Amino acid sequence: MQHSTPKDIGSINFGLMEPEEYREMSATKIITADTYDDDGFPIDMGLMDPRLGVIDPGLECKTCGKHSGSCNGHFGHIELAAPVIHVGFTKLIRRLLRGTCRECSRLLLTEDERDEFRDDITESRKLGRDLNDVTKAAIRQARKKDRCPFCGEIQYDIDHEKPTTYYEVQQVLTSEYSQRIAAAMQGDEEEGIERTSPDELAEETEIELTRVNEILSGSFRPRESQRKAIEKALDIDLTEEDTNKLMPSDIRDWFENIPDEDIEVLGIDSDRSRPEWMILTVLPVPPVTARPSITLDNGQRSEDDLTHKLVDIIRINQRFMENREAGAPQLIIEDLWELLQYHVTTFMDNEISGTPPARHRSGRPLKTLSQRLKGKEGRFRGSLSGKRVNFSARTVISPDPTLSLNEVGVPDRVAKEMTQTMNVTERNLEDARRFVSNGPEGHPGANYVRRPDGRRLKVTEKNCEQLAEKVEAGWEVNRHLIDGDIVIFNRQPSLHRMSIMAHEVVVMPYKTFRLNTVVCPPYNADFDGDEMNMHALQNEEARAEARVLMRVQEQILSPRFGENIIGAIQDHISGTYLLTHDNPRFNETQALDLLRATRIDELPEPSGIDDEDEPFWTGHDVFSELLPDDLNLEFTGTVGDDVIIEDGQLLEGTIAEDEVGEFGGEIVDTITKVYGNTRSRIFINEVSTLAMRAIMHFGFSIGIDDETIPAEAQDRIDETITDANDRVEELIEAYENGELESLPGRTIDETLEMKIMQTLSRARDNAGTIADEHFEDDNPAVVMANSGARGSMLNLTQMAGAVGQQAVRGERINRGYEDRTLSHYEQNDLSAEAHGFVENSYTSGLTPREFFFHAMGGREGLVDTAVRTSKSGYLQRRLINALSELESQYDGTVRDTSDTIVQFEFGEDGTSPVKVSSGDDNDVDVEAIADRVLDSEFESEAEREEFFGTKREVTNLSEHADERLAEGAEVTSDD
Amino acid sequence: MVDVSQHELVPEHTVLDEDVLEEVLAEYDIDRTDLPKIKRNDSALPDEAEIGDVIKIVRDSRTTDQAVVYRLVVE
Repeated sequence: MQHSTPKDIGSINFGLMEPEEYREMSATKIITADTYDDDGFPIDMGLMDPRLGVIDPGLECKTCGKHSGSCNGHFGHIELAAPVIHVGFTKLIRRLLRGTCRECSRLLLTEDERDEFRDDITESRKLGRDLNDVTKAAIRQARKKDRCPFCGEIQYDIDHEKPTTYYEVQQVLTSEYSQRIAAAMQGDEEEGIERTSPDELAEETEIELTRVNEILSGSFRPRESQRKAIEKALDIDLTEEDTNKLMPSDIRDWFENIPDEDIEVLGIDSDRSRPEWMILTVLPVPPVTARPSITLDNGQRSEDDLTHKLVDIIRINQRFMENREAGAPQLIIEDLWELLQYHVTTFMDNEISGTPPARHRSGRPLKTLSQRLKGKEGRFRGSLSGKRVNFSARTVISPDPTLSLNEVGVPDRVAKEMTQTMNVTERNLEDARRFVSNGPEGHPGANYVRRPDGRRLKVTEKNCEQLAEKVEAGWEVNRHLIDGDIVIFNRQPSLHRMSIMAHEVVVMPYKTFRLNTVVCPPYNADFDGDEMNMHALQNEEARAEARVLMRVQEQILSPRFGENIIGAIQDHISGTYLLTHDNPRFNETQALDLLRATRIDELPEPSGIDDEDEPFWTGHDVFSELLPDDLNLEFTGTVGDDVIIEDGQLLEGTIAEDEVGEFGGEIVDTITKVYGNTRSRIFINEVSTLAMRAIMHFGFSIGIDDETIPAEAQDRIDETITDANDRVEELIEAYENGELESLPGRTIDETLEMKIMQTLSRARDNAGTIADEHFEDDNPAVVMANSGARGSMLNLTQMAGAVGQQAVRGERINRGYEDRTLSHYEQNDLSAEAHGFVENSYTSGLTPREFFFHAMGGREGLVDTAVRTSKSGYLQRRLINALSELESQYDGTVRDTSDTIVQFEFGEDGTSPVKVSSGDDNDVDVEAIADRVLDSEFESEAEREEFFGTKREVTNLSEHADERLAEGAEVTSDD
Repeated sequence: MVDVSQHELVPEHTVLDEDVLEEVLAEYDIDRTDLPKIKRNDSALPDEAEIGDVIKIVRDSRTTDQAVVYRLVVE
């Protein structure tokens, strides 16, 4: 394979193309609309002329001699019989017509005005403003002129009928002038307008009486000055609009005469673009490679939409020429001209408003040039910004708690398809040969090898043994993914940077990607059928970057709020809660079982000896084994008690959500910031496994019996509900008697609604409190709610107490029938029941009407989420597009691509939220940090040296490298 | 009329002297036009500010105490 050297793009200029340029770059002129002859060969000077490039493999290009694939194709051209307007420039054409003189084509601005706008343009360019604002203002100014300041010609208004027709609008004398004048001279008695005699008119307008009589009889058309005088005298309008169509050829002549210096005032570079080039006289024909024809199964050729359109253009073009030569009437010529204009227009854009789109025989609108570029699937968004890639895999995900959070389980069939390029050297020769000899079917095998001469050979079951022996240093082997390889893993929608993270491969049987449950929060993944994408990295640089920057452990702290986004979730939290809440005791076997999946293989000193003389370990002590030895922490925990950790020992407190959970678990957060990502990864892995062991030890389940309350409690709840209903009835009665006093700023109706809502919500809370009294602290739902694992006290209330008021749009349910929600109620019934108060609990079951109201409230929630996601998605797209070019520079500033400063210091303080620990309630504790640093510094001179020198954190490259690094750390360096 | 520039939420705006401006521009290696802009009719501007002047804005910041920003006055 030949590689061409990469090149820098120095600059890009956009401008118009000269017709002569189209002809010069053209490989051939196209004159016939036919494509292939009877034998299937392309016709010369036809739309598929072989000089336009090759699409069939094996053929040679007649222009450049290259074969299909390497020949990019060559443009041809069509000589248009008459000029037509380019649809892309209709607005600019209109502007120029309005701003220039119809006679001498000069811009209708005086020298002073020109200078002003020229200055404005240079300033706008410098400030990076929109030039359009200035040029628009210039045209507006020019349009005000009634006469050309240079030749004195009267200027008329230009009308633009979309898409491509322009009219000159003139005010001319109407044909019924004599009738109008006569009618006005008659006067109107009712309106009190007097009659005018011809004598009086002649006197007032200073026109001779004989002339006036001639005008009145219609035998003399008044001149303009006379017309104006009559109009003024009789207070009438004698004009009508006369529209004069401007043909493209007229416009072209007009534009040709615009002097260069005039268009520069309008911001057009006259060196590169002349306005008359906006009117096409030559149409470039795209190369066949841009509009390949497909051969169908039955041997028929099917042409591209662009080719169809070009056929239309050539046909009309030919008919136009024939008719003109035959001397056809002007009317027919104009019709054909319009048709040609239509075809050229739709060739470039088939979605112009006001024009019917050109259609395929089947009725499908044709996909022409602009449709290829526009929109999500267009060339820009679909093919250039986003591409389909190789070395990617997608499948369903499922959980595997035995994996580290850095790892991903990859199905063996994926691992055998996705390869990594291995550069064979003397040192890995043996491995490489083993991979090749395993062939493409055996895992870890190889799919391809490349010899030093660049030839690529497929490894097959048959040749793998032989090929393995040939492999030498200098070869490349495309081997299968193996354990420890780094890959990129992603779940859509990719809303933040943690949606794409690097994982280490663990090859596994079966068909799903496996991941540790603690990485669910950053991906927002669950296992109800979610699918995720994996990408194998293809060069050493990418792999190194992914390992150092993108691995899951590097993303534990979220840049959004600077705290950990990865931590224990759900059952992990229930587990640590059970382990530490009442500080239970475990015997040796139990304690060892709890810690079996961690690095701890020896128990610490027993926490004490129990009554039967057996040693025991407390939950706190078991948990403390996972903490770094010198960790000190004190804070108020989830349950409300103080959590105290001293020298890596949990002395007091319950470990739950605020301690080890996702989104800012205090212990995880501190370990990450103080001890680094690697230690934090180990901690999170171990907490999750310890918690799973703990929850299995205690056993944890939930069923309907757990939320059932005794009959006595149910009676009390029923009583509160009845009470509330009574109070609502009282309120309604007071309202109906007009005794209800309205709250400030509310109507009486609103007051009533508010009071009812209040009463009912209090009723539900009371029901909840009563229900709560009957749940022990070891009730699973209570454990989950207290620890923050899942659910809340409100959920518990709804399960055991009463579900409560259902709401739509924040109000009691009011919609449905006329003056009532359902036909089960009387009209204007204001009671709690009739407006969606559910007095039953989920355990006791809802009545049909309650169920219906509940479904109404539930539906609103669903609709809200659906609307929110689509709205926020679009908002995010716009934000990303607006901010994507901003970049923080080495000098700390944030600048856009034109080097304009946006922020003088990134985020005002130049700090990353990940690297700094501060929040609303804890400022950066400079003292504590200084103390901690100094404490460790003053221990020995050597350590201080290390601090003031450049001791860097060890880049932990792989979990499997830990052991090696640990050994290496003790070896002192040679220098 | 209320003088907005005296409001406690409006940070201090001062016109930058020409020689100090040179230093600032040199520090960031930029032209005057690369600075963020502020409209001449912005009520927070001091009266003497004219188009083309550079304004120094010192505002209180939650994270850095004081943040300094420069802006170019445009029409």
